[in-house]
Amino acid sequence: MPKILAIEDDPTTGEEIVAELSQHGFEVVWIADGRDGLISAVSGDFDAILLDRMLPRLDGLAIVTIIRKAGIDIPVLMISALSDVDERVRGLRAGGDDYMTKPFASEELAARLEVLLRRRAAIPRQAALTVADLEIDLMSRTVRRAGVEIRLMPTEYKLLEFMVRNSGQVLTRTMIFEAIWGYHFDPGTNLIDVHLGRLRRKLDRPGLPPLLHTIRGSGYALHAPA
Amino acid sequence: MRPRELWRTTPFRLTLFNGAVFALAVMALLGLIYWRTAGYISHQLDAIVVSEARALASAGAESLPRRVREAVAADGRAISYYGLFSADGVWIEGNVHRLPPDAVPDGAPRDLRETGFQPGARAVVQRLPWGELLFVGHDAKVLSGLREIIVNALAVSGAVILLLGLAAAAALSLAPLRRIDHLRAASRAALRGELGVRLPVSRRRDEIDMLAGLANAMMDETERLLWEVKSVGDNVAHDLRTPLNRLRAMLYRVSQETRLEGPDREMIDRALAETDELLIRFRALLRIGEIERRDRQACFEPVRLQSVLEHVLELHEPSAEDRGVTLDCDTIQAAPPIFADPGLLFEAVSNLVDNALKFTPSGGRVRLRLLMRDEGPRIEVVDNGPGVPDDEREAVLNRFYRSQRTRTEPGSGLGLSIVTAIARLHHFTLSLDDARPGLRVALDCWPRGLEA
Repeated sequence: MPKILAIEDDPTTGEEIVAELSQHGFEVVWIADGRDGLISAVSGDFDAILLDRMLPRLDGLAIVTIIRKAGIDIPVLMISALSDVDERVRGLRAGGDDYMTKPFASEELAARLEVLLRRRAAIPRQAALTVADLEIDLMSRTVRRAGVEIRLMPTEYKLLEFMVRNSGQVLTRTMIFEAIWGYHFDPGTNLIDVHLGRLRRKLDRPGLPPLLHTIRGSGYALHAPA
Repeated sequence: MRPRELWRTTPFRLTLFNGAVFALAVMALLGLIYWRTAGYISHQLDAIVVSEARALASAGAESLPRRVREAVAADGRAISYYGLFSADGVWIEGNVHRLPPDAVPDGAPRDLRETGFQPGARAVVQRLPWGELLFVGHDAKVLSGLREIIVNALAVSGAVILLLGLAAAAALSLAPLRRIDHLRAASRAALRGELGVRLPVSRRRDEIDMLAGLANAMMDETERLLWEVKSVGDNVAHDLRTPLNRLRAMLYRVSQETRLEGPDREMIDRALAETDELLIRFRALLRIGEIERRDRQACFEPVRLQSVLEHVLELHEPSAEDRGVTLDCDTIQAAPPIFADPGLLFEAVSNLVDNALKFTPSGGRVRLRLLMRDEGPRIEVVDNGPGVPDDEREAVLNRFYRSQRTRTEPGSGLGLSIVTAIARLHHFTLSLDDARPGLRVALDCWPRGLEA
């Protein structure tokens, strides 16, 4: 069970985080004060830290800077009421791995944490990725499903690789947009859905069990047929 | 300070005008003095020539030549002229050797217009009882001396008035001009959107201060209203977003946990979709506020517009295809990189394309173009959809506005407002016009002139 340290001073948000993450099978330690949070972060054995940007006594930015200076390489997801792009840049530059704006949809929090955990655990060098009968050759950038090669456009390939690297994990539209296109705004309407729809048509041919699943109300997940 | 600017100021012109009026008055006064004096002197000359002629005439025929000679000799200042002529005009005696051709021997004084005399000289020609003609004239040296004095006075006083006037005008207008320069600088800053700027007010309480004070009061009020509106919008969006997110979380949990079937399931899904739609609008509203509050050029860097357009095309191409709309991109002309925020520029163009696709019916066409104008590059998004009527073009840039005919389309109605905010941040110009048929939205990627 992954152990998460949540440093958050707002009681409502803190409770929500604990409830939501427990539900997703995380073990959460919640600390409401910046300095105590830093002590726990340095001493404790956590798998990831959820860090509020603004905290009493010691600022979130300062905490992440100190952690990184100390050489602690633990995934840090920063959350903040400051949605400004500049703030995001500052947070990531200080050493945060991801940045979320409050208020957030609770399932997005869990999804992002899991992606972060997985990224850290990532197998160093792989020549290929596989999920069920889907194979991606990372060298030649070719994709095969049940032995048949699937021709993909560059964006579709990037999308598929991202989904496969995070297979079994719910990915929200925002996460997908940020990861593939690298922009941080609301692309609106159903742009991401359309891209995933295209990918699905190429991937899940009629007769094959579907790999790409729409998760109602949250996003998408790629996983082997149950 | 440029001379042209100086010339345009009110104090400068007023002072010059006053100087001119004063100079005219001085001229009129001196003129009047001269005119009256000349009249008086002329009258005196008449009396002199008439009385001298009479005195000479009374001398009698034999002694007259001698008297004339004596009179000439007695005139030390050489201002009197005498001439004695025979009945047919032949000179007999005197320092005038020829009668003026227009002389009338009636004993009445007249102007002496012969050359060699000062203007204003008077003379009388009288026929003596014995037939000879006596000429007595008096030159107007006094008059010409007086005229000289007056003309000199006019010239000197004119020059002095002119110089003094110019100096006074410049002195009077330089100070206000300098103040107006400060005012202008402050106004320009205010125009650029720096809301905290106020016009400088001195302690003089003159008319400039009154106007500046008035303008400042207006700016205070504008800033207050703006912040009020902004904070109302932002706070509403922010405050409502938290409970909305909780509501969404609850709906989400319900949809995940319970095994709902049929209409119940559908209800929950619809409620979730509606909540998402609301959240999208709130996010868009907050986004506009965020862009507007942005530290102006924090994230600016050189941006290649071609690649921005290509990325936008790549993002929207599948959705265009799904809608049955042709989306093409025309960026043949090489445009130099511009200094901008690449993320925001992408967001703006993406929003424009999203809008165009939304409002173009199946079978239509949306063109994304990059043109090069003299001033700089221009991005155009042209569709051949229903377009926007003239009277609505201004309004579609406003928050939440949606053209009557497109109300049914999903969306926040804030897409163009976000683009407007991004354009304003860059000092770019966003304009809409008729593409016959359809709508052409143009983003001029060069700073709009503020120095107008």
